[in-house]
Amino acid sequence: MTKLNIPIGPNHPLLKEPLSILLSVEGERILEGSLKLGYVHRGIEQLCQERTYTQAIHLIERVCGICSHVHSTNYCQTVEALLNLEIPPRAKYIRALLCELERVHSHLLWLGVLAKNIGLDTVFMYTWRDREIVLDLLEEISGGRVSHAVNVIGGIKIDLEQQLMDTIFRQLAILTPKLEVILSLFENDPSVRLRTQGVGILTKQEVLQQCVVGPVARASGVDFDMRRDIPRVPYNLIDLKIITHTDGDVWARSLVRIREALESLRLVKQILERIPDGNIAVRAKRRIPEGEAVSRLEAPRGELFYYIRSDGSDKPARLKIRTPTIPALSLLLDQLRGVNIADAPVILSGIDLCIACADR
Amino acid sequence: MASWSYQKELFENEVVMTELNWIKNYLKNKGYSDAFEIKLLPEQEKWVLVPVAYVYGLIEEMVNKSPTWHLSTITGQDTGGFLEVLYHFWLGYGLTICTRLSYTEAMLPSISPIIAGASFYEREISELLGITFRNLQDNSLLFLPNGWNKGWPLRKKTGEPNDQT
Repeated sequence: MTKLNIPIGPNHPLLKEPLSILLSVEGERILEGSLKLGYVHRGIEQLCQERTYTQAIHLIERVCGICSHVHSTNYCQTVEALLNLEIPPRAKYIRALLCELERVHSHLLWLGVLAKNIGLDTVFMYTWRDREIVLDLLEEISGGRVSHAVNVIGGIKIDLEQQLMDTIFRQLAILTPKLEVILSLFENDPSVRLRTQGVGILTKQEVLQQCVVGPVARASGVDFDMRRDIPRVPYNLIDLKIITHTDGDVWARSLVRIREALESLRLVKQILERIPDGNIAVRAKRRIPEGEAVSRLEAPRGELFYYIRSDGSDKPARLKIRTPTIPALSLLLDQLRGVNIADAPVILSGIDLCIACADR
Repeated sequence: MASWSYQKELFENEVVMTELNWIKNYLKNKGYSDAFEIKLLPEQEKWVLVPVAYVYGLIEEMVNKSPTWHLSTITGQDTGGFLEVLYHFWLGYGLTICTRLSYTEAMLPSISPIIAGASFYEREISELLGITFRNLQDNSLLFLPNGWNKGWPLRKKTGEPNDQT
């Protein structure tokens, strides 16, 4: 049979972000592929090294258009670690609250994309409609739908009024049953199961070897979550359940993400119930003492890693960002090898890639 | 006998020393006799400076011994005086294995035969910093455009000239 090379991207209707994949196909079967990144590379790591620690926060928020808050939180946390600065507990709770709302919004966005790719346009519309509830909440809290700009070195800029907390409680009560309906659909609907079960299987061994993180790893039975593994306030004080599955296919990834979104709603409720009173920020020095620091945080797509080296000035000497998409991308070609070409979009969307994150 | 350069409080921290003893023993068994350095970074991250020649063996030993290792990433940086490669692991605690390279011998073995997931990180460092990873199967450019010939973007002006062409 004739071998064909099919280039997908960097600009392609299938892809929401620019990525170039060259697939070698025989008939309907994918033989192998190669990958090229860098089409949305903005050089954020290098640009931050030319800005002061405070100026860099705004740039860091633009690494990702979905999980912007978790990026700036992790960055500020790393700088605070270098300063040996303890921020007020209320600020930690508000940061975590936004992280959890962002997780719900990210998982719902992904769920809509997956539903569209497997032909469930109605579910796509439902999930994106429900996602608006979260985005409206985020807008009410911070003023921005996806870029919140609430973090500062030493704490947070915005406080939560009681009235706003009541609104969040009310909206949670509306969103939770809606998500439960979608969960039961994914658990029981035969057409969803036919389209996703057994597709894009990743074994636990493959996940460990490729160092994949987040819901993709947890759907293959790897119990790894930085919210629990690094006990920080407030996660060490609230009841946190880590969702895992053993099947390792696209179906398992869907269930893990929907259950995680429901768990995040539960966490938001707990955070609001236990949020302490007090200050929301402390004053931080402009110049950061010489040293190195590493920080890991659980972003919606998995472990987010920041490394900063300071040379004692007011600008970072080296800033390194490792987003969870990078290890997931390294597994993509292995997953595509040998599968039917019609399954490629389902596998691609099953991983939840964020190319802007990977390119930085 | 290997001598250690400690941060004083680290020396008194038994938990930290218990966690790092396997590195000490490995280097001792391999006959490494010079001083090396350990530090405790913020957030309880352990940092160990290991000579280039021992990095591959040490990581192989770690993967064989510890059932729950995870490679978070590999960072490459030009400090101005030398190149530094940092392997950030998670073993239930954070461990950074640091190794230093001169500009003239910017070469070290790829750890991708032991940890498949390392190859992306190594390709990135290779194209941005000009460090060669021996036995790295795919050397094609990942982030830079094909045919790039303007040097290594993350190299500083100091040290060796930033000119690959």
